[in-house]
Amino acid sequence: MISVKGLVKSFGDHVVLQGIDYTINKGEKIVIVGPSGSGKSTFLRCLNLLEKPTAGEIWFEDQLITDKKCNINVVRRKMGMVFQQFNLFPHLTVLQNITLSPVKLGLMSKEEAKENAMRLLARIGLTEKANTYPIQLSGGQKQRIAIVRALAMNPDVMLFDEPTSALDPEMVGEVLAVMKELADEGMTMVVVTHEMGFAKEVATKVLFMDEGKILEESSPAEFYSDPKHPRLKEFLSKVLV
Amino acid sequence: MNLIALGWLNPLVKFIVPFINRLDIFFKYNVRLIKNLYKPMLQGLQNTLIISFFALIIGVVLGTILAVIKVIPKKGILKKIFDFVVNIYISFFRGTPVVVQLLLFYFGVLGPRGYSPLYVAIMVLGLNSSAYVAESVRSGILAVDHGQMEAGRSLGLTYGSTMWHIILPQAIKNILPALGNELIALIKETAVVGFIAVFDLTRAARAVVSDTYDAFGPYLYLALVYLVIVLIATFFVTKLERRLRQSDKR
Repeated sequence: MISVKGLVKSFGDHVVLQGIDYTINKGEKIVIVGPSGSGKSTFLRCLNLLEKPTAGEIWFEDQLITDKKCNINVVRRKMGMVFQQFNLFPHLTVLQNITLSPVKLGLMSKEEAKENAMRLLARIGLTEKANTYPIQLSGGQKQRIAIVRALAMNPDVMLFDEPTSALDPEMVGEVLAVMKELADEGMTMVVVTHEMGFAKEVATKVLFMDEGKILEESSPAEFYSDPKHPRLKEFLSKVLV
Repeated sequence: MNLIALGWLNPLVKFIVPFINRLDIFFKYNVRLIKNLYKPMLQGLQNTLIISFFALIIGVVLGTILAVIKVIPKKGILKKIFDFVVNIYISFFRGTPVVVQLLLFYFGVLGPRGYSPLYVAIMVLGLNSSAYVAESVRSGILAVDHGQMEAGRSLGLTYGSTMWHIILPQAIKNILPALGNELIALIKETAVVGFIAVFDLTRAARAVVSDTYDAFGPYLYLALVYLVIVLIATFFVTKLERRLRQSDKR
């Protein structure tokens, strides 16, 4: 579904991604872990071109999206993204946050979009928040709504950029629960996270990144019980209790 | 007996009667003044309001466009050209007196081509105001969190659509106090359009002064009228601000 070939990204002289090759298949749940500054967020953001790759190719559903002629706005409709800082639109109500994009892009009528949004809100149990503004919500609620906002576009893949890192510890669970549910439905997911429990339970593959390279790729069981790369061994010994 | 008992009122009466006489003179003076002023001032007020209103619209629309041009990410030579042109425009309108701009545009550029003074006044004040608005809108846009643009773009919206539906509403909310000040400054600045023979409030008062040789009364009334307009404008700006802040309420 997503195929990355020789992806390089540098900011000025600083090379963040040094040639990444990876293919994500439909239905896979890829969890990317790694120390901060390893390039994992940049890698994720390159997938929907929020960061413009310096070199390399990214293919999405048989389309070369790094090509100049490719209309990235159309491609992004099929790639949902969830941010660490939620990035809900503070001047719009929850309902407007969810319906804005499908309506403005002419994908749904206002009524359809509203119906769809209410159905999604019901799924996460936040129907009664439809007409409130984001500032009135807790962090966990905001992130769940951010997820639903991305889902309202009916994406084929969901990208999560440290979705629980900005949350109070007691709100992490509710967000992970929504993500697990999504995974169980068969959504293709790429998740940058520090939640090892989530990786073990949900991931089909866990990637370890450091210094702009994928150093290890394995099943979650193997990843934690039998790490191969010395850098990963060191990393796991520090993060796992 | 009664008369004697009320004798203590005498000094009071002595004081009050001339005062009432004076009050009477004062009253008559004002009535005459208002009679003289009201017609020309009403006509002047109309022009002042027309100029303020349309100049503000031009200022906000053009200023926002200029601000967006300034913040659009662009590369290389294009960026240099755009920035250069916009910067020259802004420096010219902020760096020269509005009276000079009026004289230049009316007598030098537009007047000879048959444009009316009122039209030129609206254009010049609008263009002038846009230079100030551009700077505040630009800072308002930059104050909106970068994540908002990313969120909009990640949902498939174009740059322009995200700017229009997501960034600008938040930016305008941030800078509404500054825009309110701009409106007030603009209303007061219209007082100089008399230089190109537009019959505005100030010009009306001046006409009455030269007719009656009385400067104090007409100019005091003139000041009062400007004050009332500004207070009304302030009232509406505050109200709008409160409405836009709805999403900040917890």
